[in-house]
Amino acid sequence: MDWNCTFTEERLSDYLEGKLLPVEAAAFSAHTADCANCTETVALVGGLVNRMRKMPMVEEPPQLIAKILDATLGPRTQKESWFRWLGWISVLWQPRFVLGLGAAVASVVIVSYAAGLTPAKLKKADLSPANVFRSANRQAHLTYARGAKFVNDLRVVYEIQSKLQPEPEPMPVSNPAPSQQKEHNSIPPDSSQQQKSQTAPPASRAHVRTGPMFAFLLIESMADNIAENLINRSTRSTR
Amino acid sequence: MEADAQLVQQCLRGEGPAWEELVRRHTRRVFNLCYRFTGNATEAEDLSQEVFLRIYRTLASYQPVFGAFPTWLTSVTRNLLVDHYRRTRRDRQTDSIDDAMPQLEERHSSARAPDKLAEAGELSVQLQRALARLSPELREAVILRDLQGLEYNEIQTVLQVPEGTVKSRINRGRIELARILTEMGLKPNNLS
Repeated sequence: MDWNCTFTEERLSDYLEGKLLPVEAAAFSAHTADCANCTETVALVGGLVNRMRKMPMVEEPPQLIAKILDATLGPRTQKESWFRWLGWISVLWQPRFVLGLGAAVASVVIVSYAAGLTPAKLKKADLSPANVFRSANRQAHLTYARGAKFVNDLRVVYEIQSKLQPEPEPMPVSNPAPSQQKEHNSIPPDSSQQQKSQTAPPASRAHVRTGPMFAFLLIESMADNIAENLINRSTRSTR
Repeated sequence: MEADAQLVQQCLRGEGPAWEELVRRHTRRVFNLCYRFTGNATEAEDLSQEVFLRIYRTLASYQPVFGAFPTWLTSVTRNLLVDHYRRTRRDRQTDSIDDAMPQLEERHSSARAPDKLAEAGELSVQLQRALARLSPELREAVILRDLQGLEYNEIQTVLQVPEGTVKSRINRGRIELARILTEMGLKPNNLS
């Protein structure tokens, strides 16, 4: 069957859609294989058709459906429009929002208790800005004082610890000069072991002693804080 | 198809939700046809509204035996597009559509580009420009076949021309479109 470039163009869509007779398809392929122009045309058009068919549809503007319904059915009823406006409420029922809300409430409660607020004893006067400021100011100072006390207690612990520890013997120089190194090397190995055995026991003794001391001071500081809190509350309740 | 016919029957009985469902099912298809033909999202939106208004008024005249509902909807859309094309031809002659098209496309793609369009990216934009340079007869044939996925007999019903003419227009439209894209410096078979 004779085939030429004009036939290729005229029957290109039939070829792409598999609608050529077997004889025609064979002639088409035979001609295209020998003709560079036709090969290119088939590749270009075939590729274009494939791409167009895979192309997703453009999304319509979001308000279009509502506009069409308004234009045909008339404006929707009040109830529907209210539903549209209040549609965001459904978000509140999502578990992550409920969990988040619970965590936020718990945080507020913890912070308010830490700040010395007890909802049961809350009066109207406590909510006035001046009182809120005064209370916050007092709590801030108290917190600072407690912190300072804790640091001081720690300092005492370390002072006691340092006094309990015997004076450490001068440590050998880590990077001695070559001449010193020779001397250091000349010391027999058992003498360095002796050094270690002398320094080690006091350090472990100090550790044993400071542990209970530290715990004692910590408990004492906590007891002080609790007592202070109780006094504050009792004075506030008498006021 | 049957679902559409059922919805139409429910609409004719005055059931609002059925009409709403019908609109939701077909708005995208109608909007795309209008957008691809006019190349302008705002015009496409107005025309889509006009299409559904006309459908709503003439729904009683739809007979399933004459074809599926989407084919009828496409016919109504196409007729409105042709009317619109004729109405605006004079405007386009003074203000060339080729000059306006890139701006309109850019405006559309930046203002309301959906994710899917963004994915298709450059091809969608370039294709729209190339389509605008096709004659309306070839353009509508290619859009209906390759972008709307209609069968030849459905296109024949929509365009009201013999099957041979449909085939010829689609074929010439595709070749012409590939030529235009090549002229624009793009390889239609290797677009990304």
